[in-house]
Amino acid sequence: MLSKINDIVAGFISILKGLAVTGKNMLKKPVTIQYPFEKPVMTEKFRGLVDLYPEKCIACSQCVKICPTAALDLTATTNPETKKRFLGAFSYNGELCCFCGLCQEVCPTAAMYLNKCYEVAYYKHGDLTKIDLLKADKYQHLTPPKVKGLKK
Amino acid sequence: MELQELIINMGPQHPSTHGVLYLQLKLNGEVVLDCQPHIGYLHRSIEKIAENRSLTQFIAFTDRLDYMASMNNNLGFCLAAEKLLGITAPPRAQYIRVIVAELNRIASHLLAISTFAQDLGAYATPLFYALRDREKILQIFDQLCGQRLTYNYLRVGGVSGDIPVGVDLLIKDFISYERRMLAEYQDLLTGNIIFCVRSKKIGILPKELAINYGVTGTSLRASGVKWDLRKDEPYLAYDKFDFNIPTGQNGDSFDRYYVRMVEMEESLKIIEQALGALPEGDPVAKVNKVFRPTGETYMRTENPRGELGFYIVGDGNPFPYRLKVRSPSFSNLSVISHLVKGLNISDLVCVLGSLDIVMGEIDR
Ligand code: SF4
Ligand code: SF4
Repeated sequence: MLSKINDIVAGFISILKGLAVTGKNMLKKPVTIQYPFEKPVMTEKFRGLVDLYPEKCIACSQCVKICPTAALDLTATTNPETKKRFLGAFSYNGELCCFCGLCQEVCPTAAMYLNKCYEVAYYKHGDLTKIDLLKADKYQHLTPPKVKGLKK
Repeated sequence: MELQELIINMGPQHPSTHGVLYLQLKLNGEVVLDCQPHIGYLHRSIEKIAENRSLTQFIAFTDRLDYMASMNNNLGFCLAAEKLLGITAPPRAQYIRVIVAELNRIASHLLAISTFAQDLGAYATPLFYALRDREKILQIFDQLCGQRLTYNYLRVGGVSGDIPVGVDLLIKDFISYERRMLAEYQDLLTGNIIFCVRSKKIGILPKELAINYGVTGTSLRASGVKWDLRKDEPYLAYDKFDFNIPTGQNGDSFDRYYVRMVEMEESLKIIEQALGALPEGDPVAKVNKVFRPTGETYMRTENPRGELGFYIVGDGNPFPYRLKVRSPSFSNLSVISHLVKGLNISDLVCVLGSLDIVMGEIDR
């Protein structure tokens, strides 16, 4: 009986000790941010959705070959006189992409890069599967609707 | 009272099964008579995928094996590939690899001990504290390679990018911060009598059983076997650092927790030494663009959960002929039916938490 009471007292003291640690932390500043009212700033190397500078691309297909999930597809035409290759179409499947960044690493002209877009929720199936990388406003439909009271 | 057996399915979706694991329990009231783990709910046939991917492409898939310690998986695979191809990473890359691997070990152990505490009823406090600290490591990795969970940072022959300016300072800050925090966790958890009573003498794993089942990592060391590949079969630059291998005596759930706790301090020591002695030079060796592996090799490294092995067979094509992953969690989980016989269901959760399994690498 006495040992039971001892146990209860010791347990109670441990709880108080734990609460002291909690109390100490309660006075510290919060480490979380109020998403979506505040948005985190992405780091310099952050790997978001795949994007392209079409004018830089030389249609060498290296990115298509290295992609581990076959998320990229490109058709190129060759000018028979100058032997220069031109981009015909360049499509990207954001659902297959695993954001490994290999395409960006392998691109000889730095035409391909991974942008800072991390909000990739969308309304219709297919919104992310057939992205035309040559279009300038390709990710406009992914931009979320305005939240009321959103701070800049 | 008459013995009445009842078969109950715990999982595949259960808050305390750490992933999609299905345990078939044979119960007598609260007491577990038998426990049979059923796996396969997270199977993605990663080993088969490897047969259609080049070595560089497959690194991104190793991230998805043990997603709590992606850096260590990257490391294991890259070392295996390098052994097969006869490449040695430059010294700077080796040191960077040690730093990221140990950082990831701390991140993984933090989550392991805090979810373990959560399983024992310390509902959210230790978990949130550990996630707060883990967040600091993830931010370091974010600056290092641009991702927070699936890093794909290591390459065959080195690392994909040097440590950016300022990140070394972040790591230094983290070391001193984490030392303080670990002391706090010792107060909060190790010093807590309720926590000790709940976890001591629960799920005792004897030495012989552990060795027979191929249990490795912290669970093996908690049973009193001093076996750590970083010391016993040193890879990278681990033989140049001064660190201890903590072991337990009883092999119970508490020991498994405590070994992890001490190991984090040792990891901090290693990071400090590696950062202090970081050699200059290129972070990546000069390698061919396309690898054509021939022959076979097996390379094992010490993951946060135990021995992670990669067996690669190549036949001269860019794709491996066969790739096999030896995942530590698989062996560690296989002892569970021996550990939980005669315990209550609440203690089964404690044992499961202390084994620290990740289903991603069990099912592959
Ligand atoms: S990031 Fe990786 S998966 Fe995505 S398109 Fe580029 S290479 Fe393919
Ligand atoms: S690797 Fe770069 S230049 Fe070559 S096709 Fe891809 S985006 Fe264009």
